[in-house]
Amino acid sequence: MESKVEAVVGMSRKWDAREAGREVAETAIKGLARPPDFFLLFSTIHYEKYGGFQEFLSGVWDVLPKDTPLVGGTVTGFMNNYGCFSRGASALAVSYPCMDVAVGVGKNTKRNPNRAAKQCTDMIQNSLKESPYKNKFLLNFISGPVVPSILGVGQKKYIRSGFVSKFAMQALSLSQALVQKGLGREDEIFEETVKQLPDYQMILGTSMDDHRGMQNYQFFNDKILTNAVVNLGLATDLDLDVCTTHGMKETNLHFTITKLGAKNHAICKINDTPAVPELLRLLNWPEGFLTEETMMHTILYYPISLKRNGRAVPVVMPLIMKDSIVVPCIIDDGEVSILTVSGKDLINAVKENLHFFDEIQPEFGLFSACMTILQTLGDKTNIVQEELCKYFKDKSFLLFYSAGEGTYSPTKDITYANMSFNTAVFGHKASMNSNSFSYFNEKGKSLQDNILTEGGSKFV
Amino acid sequence: MKDDPIALVLDDLLKLDDILACMVARRNMISVMPSGDGFKPEVNNIWDSIHRAMDSVFGVIGEYSQIGLGEMEFRLQDHEVLFYVFPDTENALVAIVPALANKGLLEVELENARREILKIMENPKNESNSQKKDDEVYVTA
Repeated sequence: MESKVEAVVGMSRKWDAREAGREVAETAIKGLARPPDFFLLFSTIHYEKYGGFQEFLSGVWDVLPKDTPLVGGTVTGFMNNYGCFSRGASALAVSYPCMDVAVGVGKNTKRNPNRAAKQCTDMIQNSLKESPYKNKFLLNFISGPVVPSILGVGQKKYIRSGFVSKFAMQALSLSQALVQKGLGREDEIFEETVKQLPDYQMILGTSMDDHRGMQNYQFFNDKILTNAVVNLGLATDLDLDVCTTHGMKETNLHFTITKLGAKNHAICKINDTPAVPELLRLLNWPEGFLTEETMMHTILYYPISLKRNGRAVPVVMPLIMKDSIVVPCIIDDGEVSILTVSGKDLINAVKENLHFFDEIQPEFGLFSACMTILQTLGDKTNIVQEELCKYFKDKSFLLFYSAGEGTYSPTKDITYANMSFNTAVFGHKASMNSNSFSYFNEKGKSLQDNILTEGGSKFV
Repeated sequence: MKDDPIALVLDDLLKLDDILACMVARRNMISVMPSGDGFKPEVNNIWDSIHRAMDSVFGVIGEYSQIGLGEMEFRLQDHEVLFYVFPDTENALVAIVPALANKGLLEVELENARREILKIMENPKNESNSQKKDDEVYVTA
């Protein structure tokens, strides 16, 4: 039987939630000759005010065949074959006979990340353990950070003065545990997921709103969730690979973390002095330069290169609590560099990333990228879209913008980063010799026998 | 005008929280306004000053759009005014946003709007019968 990959991108720019849900599903489904094996769905936060996400998802299910595995959630923006958008909804629907699919969900990610990861991976493992296809992939999509809610202050990214600031770190912990507003803890979930499914190649992304960090939602089949991890697991005979690039460069500004707090999520002291004043001194910023309003336009553009278990972890600094800098992931102490990146570096990172996949003839691609890249490039993000279109040509791709992303492969280990570009490409390796192919199916047929003889991937 | 496709593009932009006003304009003239009730009330106090400053900016746009001037912006008090120039013309899509708005995300949609408006301008047979040419006055502020 001839194999055939069908991968279609759907999109809607409608404002009404139900109409948008219908349209994003319709535009994806009408491009498929067979029902979809899975449906990845992303939307921006705007439907919260234009009908709500339950209406949005109901619109999708007005069209989507019953029981289609569906995962996704809210994102800051997305990019596909049609362009780049910070409002609307987009989906990737794929149908392929030589692929088994599973979806999983875990709850209370901010309160108990390891348990949530285990719940989710168990569902994937149970569904795919008998699959004959040995190339395994997982999309690990996790509820992203939400600005902590502090009694007497509300949701703030910058708390340095006033009575409450004295107890800011304790307040952060309470917010995290009681109302699950705080760090996404996606790094912990990702590490546990890798531990449970070490033979999967993975891409990590987080659910966000419009960069404000107030709320985000995840989609799991017909349910709208918060503080959840949703996974899409695939076992297939398609070749696939993953890659992370970021383009950030070290400056000549370094410091040493001498005290950590908040279970290694906060930098409390730099060079044996309180972290925030010392950071301001190193950056030559006056006291008062950083405020709730200026945070997004200043400190997010000074990423730092931290360490975690010997790995370099470039991150942004999203929260200031009194004199401590809260970072998005668990870190080790020691030497840190302040990084810099230009728009040109970001675009070169995309080109370098795609170059990694030169030997794969793509059938479809899935990306997670940092929302700060979208914020930085603004309308120049279209240059990135043009690069992706050059690579994919008439094949479908979907990129969503996150806050906390990465990849994992058994040969390359975990990469977790902010300000990064993360790619999973599915297709067929170009060279036909046995050194290139990593998979023969159980019946002993080589992948060559299953290669597409005609284009089967379309977008509307 | 309610069935003007360019006005509908502007209506979409105005639905974004941080777009306080948007229009297609040139020096001394606003060609197309959103079709609803006009701009958001936050710009009322500062509109006169912004409008005068816009005319100065359009002077620069008029001089340099033919050699590739694509965007301009200025900040006045607590607002920023963004100009997305239509190539080789003296017209621009103009938007007023709060000074500390998340400009990157807005720029994505402003560029999408510029491209959409350009398509409409380049395919006049798809416009409504009531639309005039873009160098004629629709509304003069």
